[in-house]
Amino acid sequence: MSTVHKGLTVTVRLDEKNIPYVNGLLSEYRKDLKIYQETYRKSLSTTFFISWLTLPEQQYAGKERLPARILLLSSYVGSKAAHLRELVAFLGPQLRQVFSQSPEFPTGETDEQELIRFLQRKSIPNTFYSGFKFITTREADREAALKAAVLDYLQAAPDINSDSNPSEVKEKIERYVKNHPKLHWASRGIPFSFRNKLQMLAPLVVFSLVMIASIGSLIALFFSDAAVFQWLAWIFPAFVLTLLLLFLLLRLNENNPHEPSDPLPDEKVREIVALETNPVINEMTVIAPLKKGWIRRVFLAVTLKLVGLVAYFAYIPTVHTARWLQMDRGKRLVFIANFDNLSEAYAHDFVDSERRSMNMAVIFSHAFGFPATRWLVHKLYNHRSEYMKGVRAHQKITQFWYSYNRDLSVENLKRNRAFREGLFKEMDTSAIREWLLRI
Amino acid sequence: MMKKLEKEDIQGLLVRGYGNLPTARYLLYTGTEPEMTLGFLRTILPKITPASEKPESVAFQVAFTHPGLAFLQLPEVVLDSFSREFKEGMNDIHRQLILGDTGEHAAHHWNWGNEPVHFLLLVYAKDEQQLEERISWLKSLAQTHAVQLKQALPTGLLYGKKEHFGFRDDISRPIIRELADSPELDPETSFPAGEFIMGYKNLYDEFAPAPTVPKELDPENKLPPHPDEQEQRDLGKNGCYLVFRQMEQRVSDFWQYMKTKAGDADAAIALASKMVGRWPDGSPLTRCPVKPDPSLSDANDFGFWEEDKAGLKCPIGAHIRRTNPRDHLVTERTQKDSREMAAKHRMLRKGRPYGPPLSPELDPHTLLQRTEDGEERGLHFICLVTDIRRQFEFVQNNWVNFHKFGGLENDSDPIIGNHYQNERRKTDSFSIPEYPVRKVLTDLPNFTRLKGGAYFFFPGIRALHYLLANG
Repeated sequence: MSTVHKGLTVTVRLDEKNIPYVNGLLSEYRKDLKIYQETYRKSLSTTFFISWLTLPEQQYAGKERLPARILLLSSYVGSKAAHLRELVAFLGPQLRQVFSQSPEFPTGETDEQELIRFLQRKSIPNTFYSGFKFITTREADREAALKAAVLDYLQAAPDINSDSNPSEVKEKIERYVKNHPKLHWASRGIPFSFRNKLQMLAPLVVFSLVMIASIGSLIALFFSDAAVFQWLAWIFPAFVLTLLLLFLLLRLNENNPHEPSDPLPDEKVREIVALETNPVINEMTVIAPLKKGWIRRVFLAVTLKLVGLVAYFAYIPTVHTARWLQMDRGKRLVFIANFDNLSEAYAHDFVDSERRSMNMAVIFSHAFGFPATRWLVHKLYNHRSEYMKGVRAHQKITQFWYSYNRDLSVENLKRNRAFREGLFKEMDTSAIREWLLRI
Repeated sequence: MMKKLEKEDIQGLLVRGYGNLPTARYLLYTGTEPEMTLGFLRTILPKITPASEKPESVAFQVAFTHPGLAFLQLPEVVLDSFSREFKEGMNDIHRQLILGDTGEHAAHHWNWGNEPVHFLLLVYAKDEQQLEERISWLKSLAQTHAVQLKQALPTGLLYGKKEHFGFRDDISRPIIRELADSPELDPETSFPAGEFIMGYKNLYDEFAPAPTVPKELDPENKLPPHPDEQEQRDLGKNGCYLVFRQMEQRVSDFWQYMKTKAGDADAAIALASKMVGRWPDGSPLTRCPVKPDPSLSDANDFGFWEEDKAGLKCPIGAHIRRTNPRDHLVTERTQKDSREMAAKHRMLRKGRPYGPPLSPELDPHTLLQRTEDGEERGLHFICLVTDIRRQFEFVQNNWVNFHKFGGLENDSDPIIGNHYQNERRKTDSFSIPEYPVRKVLTDLPNFTRLKGGAYFFFPGIRALHYLLANG
């Protein structure tokens, strides 16, 4: 069973005049969600987050009108087919009601299969990040309950104190877990964990192997002129040359005068932040047209592919899931994040660290209104304030937002998993002491 | 190269705490008629103490709220150039949510700040007599100008630089680099002026955001040009925002809670110290976890990354780790990133305690014996920043009150956090990492309670002249 986290992004065009109606529908669903939160949780077992919103027309390069759209963006775990089935089974009427406002929706009656095919057809690729990899919705709950139960047990156990031997404490915890009917499941270890890591790393492994093979072939050509070496030897130099060429063309594009975003009026910011009332997790959607020039579109597309390859190693503190994607033939950048606490605090994750603000420039510097750069990552004047202004200027109101987990921060989820991973695992005394601090 | 500070244009509080003027009163005013209020302020204007002077007997400082500037009929375009949080005010519903000012901290419970206040006068004096003379002068001046004194908040420095719970306070102070004598500065404790004074570069190498005046509204060029916007004059230059919160401290409740949870006096003091992160004498738990070390009572050259990552000495959720995480944030993977993050959210604290101490020497052993005496006491928290949201609100929201700070589950700041439980949130726990398992204290009451607060603009002297000439 796959426990890899992924993002589904479905988008269709919408007539601008239908936006208020669709917004009304989505806002109604948002109200319903407050009442039926538990039903959602039970019915959407593969789904961590859903953002559903309308996007008004935007201008690209000062002249081209990019169409209004409906966007449905979910973060899920497991197979895409199962996730689509689940969405359609539970949210079928709502999906039909909203998407039928688009000219791209099939006319006539749509049964579940047709709706699934429609969503499949209209889904577009994205570069996805998860801050709590390989944890399913069910496991998130169970691991929190497991750790809470063990904490209660340790605090109440009369024979466990500061003089206790770490190995004995660990054994007692494991015995308690094994013998507890509701916690017994945790004694079986984490299923498919190696397979899932491999699945996530597979594209990077393939890419690296191809590059290594190409470099190897370059060397081998000194000793042999076999056709296979001749073909493979081209790949690495071609890749490097392409990147160099892209960088040079980007550098030329960077000479275009910087056009800052107009600051978002206070009222608009208030409208956005008024929705950030959840005590632990909130959401942010930023959608911006790209800066003019085809090189921006191409460079960003290549960047997103490469970022996707290394997503396993990426780290953004306080982010549960995030995604970046291009739409409208690469002319729009979409970014959504589900993060701990409020957007004001979250945005600082990017601008307060030199390293991360460079990483963010790799993607956001291509979007209109975001700060100008030199050679992609070198900051120019007022980088921080321009970045913050750019985020707010292009932030959209998400009319419908659902989160399976409402109470656990990403750090909580990771600690709960780390505790479970340590159960029934061989450790030395200092590792046990470290592990006990996770509880 | 560092830019020289224009001390003659900066109000003195930005560079000194007036420790040589131990008596002070904070006066909150509301005008009734703009022209008369301007007259009142113009009379006081020559007495405002600039940073270039070190007064020996008395000092005056002044700051304005956004409603106050609007009342003085500042043009709309200028009013609008201030930051959103300043315009909205501390008592705005959304800002209350960000600051954790809900429940008994909510603005409708405050003694002041929920109804508009127009300006704040801070009067410092060498002794009570000097202070009273100035206060009575201000009283008659206010009467003749129909200016209403809404609150006269007394202050009083406490024994041994302590606050009312009996702990040494205000040890970790950021140093403004441009003011330092020594060229060898610790980058962790020294900061560019722009972090605290508008018109100078900040840690992002940018000029701090500041209110502006269109050139045409300053025909006499009273204000300096804005460094980034050619068509604007810089109203913020040499000024900053002043955040004021009056926090009542429930000293008896605090020590009774410690006694109940810990048992004997020494254990109660050790527990309270775990919550603060320093021993009552100021020595940091990170350096001396077992017992206080008076030789370290001013120690500020320590970090958590190398010395106490797990919080076994100073808990992750302790007050000093939340308000200044130094070099360790649990969510960061490197010491460098932690340092960079923490540095971007510092404030210049300038507040003073108020009310009589529960015991004169504030010895925790004595405080543990004392019962509630019916007197109100606490802290007038004042901090000076150039960006309310990035500095004060970020710390208050993300570090002080966020109950998930540092991987914790239900803990807000044990000392100044808002402790409560409802169906969506539980914030009244305090976790102490220990072997073999962390200790969790529950049902923490609120040891402090907010009694008032507002955001003020603390202008430079030239800006003050402009405001009072053009109001």
